[in-house]
Amino acid sequence: MIRDYYNRNALDEKLRGAPRPPGANHLAIGHRQAVSMVLAVAGEEDSVEKLLSSATEFTGRFSAPGEWLVVSENDTPEGLQRRLDALCSDKAHIVDQSEARVLFRISGPSMRRILAKGIGLDLDPNVFATGASANALCGHIAVNLARTGEDAFELLTPRSFAESLFDNLMTMGREYDLTAAFAA
Amino acid sequence: MASLITCPHCGVRPKEEFAIRGDASLVRPAPTASDEAWHDYVYVRANPRGRTLEHWQHVGGCRRFLVVERDTFTHEVHSVTDGAAFARENGK
Repeated sequence: MIRDYYNRNALDEKLRGAPRPPGANHLAIGHRQAVSMVLAVAGEEDSVEKLLSSATEFTGRFSAPGEWLVVSENDTPEGLQRRLDALCSDKAHIVDQSEARVLFRISGPSMRRILAKGIGLDLDPNVFATGASANALCGHIAVNLARTGEDAFELLTPRSFAESLFDNLMTMGREYDLTAAFAA
Repeated sequence: MASLITCPHCGVRPKEEFAIRGDASLVRPAPTASDEAWHDYVYVRANPRGRTLEHWQHVGGCRRFLVVERDTFTHEVHSVTDGAAFARENGK
């Protein structure tokens, strides 16, 4: 049953039909990436952070003190779990979130203006640089926002909020002709 | 109401990301304390004009409890501390 959730994206209904060609501002919905939550054991926060930042196969996103979300494009959920277990099993608890989170990957020249309509964060590259990440509210929906490039961001949101966040983002981006499709 | 809160973990955030969880200056009475003391602790609240200590939870961000010292009259925020650090400092 878990497998069904993993293989069925929460936005299948929303993105039914032939995809429009991606425009300059584009929202790509991630398919089948592995997401894990890493919770450091009390007192081990700093060493877990060091271990996560030393890894090259995946990126750790700051969520709260001693808590990170790890996203991997190439691993299966089980593979990522094994990899993280090997990396920091005695220092952190690792909880698979692959079925529970939906990844929104948005990029384009107007991205900062689009996100400014819903997120109360300063997205100036000097303040929120490439590689930075934070939990925030987008409208009224809790997301984890990460900057993956100058004009590229990724949002992770709980599965049950994915359709609402999708509608929000499309409304926020209507002025800038935001297009949406599943990631290739 | 103060509209920007500087979370020690997340930086400057709008107040919409937070939930106010009440007075942070109360001290829980001993389990054997009188009913009056417990009644006061659970139900009776002041409505101060000026500086107050409050618990704010950053529900839209790091989800940590913070202790915010703010002025109910001028809306000025004087300090924001992580709840655990505040408890350690005050020996609770």
